[in-house]
Amino acid sequence: MKITINGKEVEAIEGQTVLQASIANGVYIPHLCYHEKVGAAGKCRACVVEIEGMRGLQTSCSVPVRDGMVVNTVSQSALNAQKLVIDLMLSSGTHDCLACEQNGNCELQDAAYFLGIERASVQYGEINREFDTTSEFVYVERNKCISCGRCVAACNTTVVNQVLDFGHRGHHTEIVFDTDKKMGESSCVQCGECSQICPVGAIVDKNARGKGRPWELKKVESVCPYCGVGCKLELHVDPRTNKIVKVRGVEDAPTNKGMLCVKGRYGFDFVGHPDRLTTPLIKENGQFREASWEEAVELVASKLTEVKDKYGADSIMGMASAKVTNEENYTFQKLIRTGIGTNNVDHCARL
Amino acid sequence: MLEQKIMDRIQKLKDRYPRKESALMPALMLAQKANGNYLSEDDMNEIAKFVGVTSGKAYGVATYYTMYNTKKVGKYHIQIDTNIPATLMGAVKVLDFVKKELGINAGETTKDGLFTLDEVECLASCGTCPVIQVNDVYYENMTAEKTKALLDSLKKGVMPKPEEPVYFGGTECNVLLKNRRVKNSTSIEVYKKNGGYKALEKALTMEPAAILNEVKTSAIRGRGGAGFPAGVKWGFLAKGTGKPIYLVCNADEGEPGTFKDRQIMEYDPHLLIEGMIISAKAIGSKLGFIYIRGEFDWIADILDKAVEEAKADKKMGDFDIIVHRGAGAYVCGEETALIESIEGKRGQPRMKPPFPAVAGLYGCPTIVNNVETLASVPFIIEKGADEFKKFGYENNTGFKLFGVSGCVNKPGVYEYPMGIPFKKLLEAAGGPKGKLKAVIVGGLSVPILKADELEGLNMDYDACIKKGTMLGSGGVMVINEEFSIPEIAYRTIKFYAHESCGKCTPCKEGSYTIVKILGKLLKGQATQADLDNMVRIIGSVNEAGSTLCPTGQAFAMPIKAMYEKFNDEFKKLLK
Ligand SMILES: Cc1cc2nc3c(=O)[nH]c(=O)nc-3n(C[C@H](O)[C@H](O)[C@H](O)COP(=O)(O)O)c2cc1C
Ligand code: SF4
Ligand code: SF4
Ligand code: SF4
Ligand code: SF4
Ligand code: FES
Ligand code: FES
Repeated sequence: MKITINGKEVEAIEGQTVLQASIANGVYIPHLCYHEKVGAAGKCRACVVEIEGMRGLQTSCSVPVRDGMVVNTVSQSALNAQKLVIDLMLSSGTHDCLACEQNGNCELQDAAYFLGIERASVQYGEINREFDTTSEFVYVERNKCISCGRCVAACNTTVVNQVLDFGHRGHHTEIVFDTDKKMGESSCVQCGECSQICPVGAIVDKNARGKGRPWELKKVESVCPYCGVGCKLELHVDPRTNKIVKVRGVEDAPTNKGMLCVKGRYGFDFVGHPDRLTTPLIKENGQFREASWEEAVELVASKLTEVKDKYGADSIMGMASAKVTNEENYTFQKLIRTGIGTNNVDHCARL
Repeated sequence: MLEQKIMDRIQKLKDRYPRKESALMPALMLAQKANGNYLSEDDMNEIAKFVGVTSGKAYGVATYYTMYNTKKVGKYHIQIDTNIPATLMGAVKVLDFVKKELGINAGETTKDGLFTLDEVECLASCGTCPVIQVNDVYYENMTAEKTKALLDSLKKGVMPKPEEPVYFGGTECNVLLKNRRVKNSTSIEVYKKNGGYKALEKALTMEPAAILNEVKTSAIRGRGGAGFPAGVKWGFLAKGTGKPIYLVCNADEGEPGTFKDRQIMEYDPHLLIEGMIISAKAIGSKLGFIYIRGEFDWIADILDKAVEEAKADKKMGDFDIIVHRGAGAYVCGEETALIESIEGKRGQPRMKPPFPAVAGLYGCPTIVNNVETLASVPFIIEKGADEFKKFGYENNTGFKLFGVSGCVNKPGVYEYPMGIPFKKLLEAAGGPKGKLKAVIVGGLSVPILKADELEGLNMDYDACIKKGTMLGSGGVMVINEEFSIPEIAYRTIKFYAHESCGKCTPCKEGSYTIVKILGKLLKGQATQADLDNMVRIIGSVNEAGSTLCPTGQAFAMPIKAMYEKFNDEFKKLLK
């Protein structure tokens, strides 16, 4: 169907909202509470536009497109309202971007930049809750929270861990973990979905803080090595040290839609760990020594043959790893079944 | 661990509601009452588990509504309302007196743990302000002397029985206030003796469509504030969904200056129940709810008893009514927030569409109507739409309750036909006390009128619009020359900032910012730039759709009008 946005006729698809159609056509409208995964909430009111034939301002995140619709995203009253929202958000928190982890990757900052807001016009806010650093992997700074509700929705309906919620009301509304526990003392499983979905710097990955600006880090797509789900992830690598600084889920991955578990998101320190094996080791006289792959495989093969000859094939069992791919697991069971000749084969993910 | 007898009561609640989560709010209140007026975290967790919600949800609910005490309070929780009518009627003096007498400020508890003092919002009893609520009990028409006696008694550990509130009201129409002065008017026997349940008898002989049609023809507009025609709303009900249909009576009575529904529920509960039974038949509902503000605890008891009486008297047929108590949240008067609240959630408005008539309570088609609207239905059915239309005039039909408070000699609720001259109403209320300065005619959220704008004003929807204001809930607040408008504006915006549900940005932060600006102004510290900021906020918030629900406009409109019409008073206070 055709709709008109800011005087220009563009293509829109049945089922899209005005916001989705605008973005698809390269027209940015500030939006902070909407996220594809949690849907429209109508909370932030940053996305308001004017639509011909509809009374007052409309939230573009919630209104579906109709053929022939005429939308104005930059009318005076829409812009005034958008600016007021961003201005009030900046006013009501401590948005000192210089020190903020989210700087350069912040949706509030983007909106302020787009609307030409250099600094908040009012500074009456004074919320002063200390930072919550009790969680192993997640850092919470409520002073930067804009109450968009994405984390609450995500924790409850996307990952269904049901930890986060809103407490209190009005200006004093804030996110709470269970009955306002410290995050580290709550029932949180540290999946980090809230950090992934937070548009600002209110919930961030704790161990990545200060380790590099978003624009400095190289983004490398990969697959989580931990289990068979095979979540797609994006490694943020510091090119100077070649170290992984943080991991984010890939939002458009069909496997995981940006979600990760605590291991996939935060358990990456093994990658560069000094204890990690980089070459096979063979134990001789109670001591390990380095060996080549040829030598190691040769040794294992001969030992297994020895055991099989002496005690029979069923005295051997194969245990596969969840960290390898489906194809590798297939090959492995083939090896055990036909190479060794036993059905004693299982997989760690079933244990 | 909650006592078994409390758990048994919570189990009963769970069984009574269509969904068990709805038992959360009453369950939390039961636990609080059983624990010296304090809601502990353990109880919260236990109840959350029992009714099947997360502990975060329970905490969210407990801290959303003001009546849950998640911090310990004294044995006597003294709550003094200082909203606009109260302020106009001397509540600040009463508050100051209590502060001095107890040696504490609002928000504090005496060292002996006997008293906690709180300044609270309108208690929907503006005609009898100043009101002091001690725990669950209202003490009305308070003066310094009466307050002294009250405190003395409390210090001895005795909660005195409250005096019958002074009643000045009157009725010219004799419908909604017909039984107001009748003895034992709450009993079904008395109600029937005075002609009650005759309309129901007639309705039982009518087809639902005929009842709906009669209501439509009467052209009655919703009395909750928005003035939407009730018959038209009923007509929007989604049909053939296979889902139950719910009828919800809005008895939140939250708009400051409004204290009319109380008159019906406290003194003529069967009128409301009869209206609900008939309305339920018209829309095909088998289950109704009365959502009553939590502070009206004793009135909820009256309603509970009346429902039981009606059931015992076989008046209800296969219809049932659950009286659901709120817990202190103005926004729960907004119909979708109210629905959320019945569902056991934080009472925050939903995005519309869908409208409740399509997907409301538990996602089912739902009709929400105000107490006064539903209580008018028996008359419309018994006497017919044409009789109803004899009151008022086209598009503004019927009788209406007007609550008059503030600087008048006989504050109270008056029943008149729509469209009566404001002057006549003011005279009925004993005329202004002191020199008339301004009037807010439709509850706190409508634009203020200066004394000279009252000339020729009639009290109905269209006439008020013509004068640049709104009839709203019909809560009339009269202001005399003693009061400064910037101070009234400050108290007004404090109310909205306190009540903003916190869901959307412009309302929650806009109201809060204006509190800061006007606070500065009253201290003589504000600059023109501050006021300009206020004007900018108001201008944007006043635009329909800039906030999620009408609460944004509900504060933008009155503040804008006060600022524009009494601009010199604001300017005088600049730095
Ligand atoms: C913030 C807000 C508060 C409201 N408070 C009340 C109230 O206390 N009582 C009421 O009946 N309607 C209240 N309303 C209006 C209701 O949303 C709804 O329109 C009304 O209950 C419908 O009933 P009626 O059509 O019979 O008036 C409020 C609306 C808003 C936006
Ligand atoms: S959250 Fe965004 S706007 Fe706020 S300080 Fe961080 S980068 Fe700046
Ligand atoms: S880390 Fe996961 S479980 Fe913990 S609060 Fe965030 S979303 Fe919920
Ligand atoms: S923490 Fe982030 S995602 Fe959660 S409500 Fe605040 S701003 Fe939104
Ligand atoms: S305007 Fe927004 S914040 Fe205010 S009460 Fe309505 S939904 Fe809540
Ligand atoms: S994105 Fe539309 S209201 Fe927040
Ligand atoms: S009850 Fe006191 S202001 Fe309404």
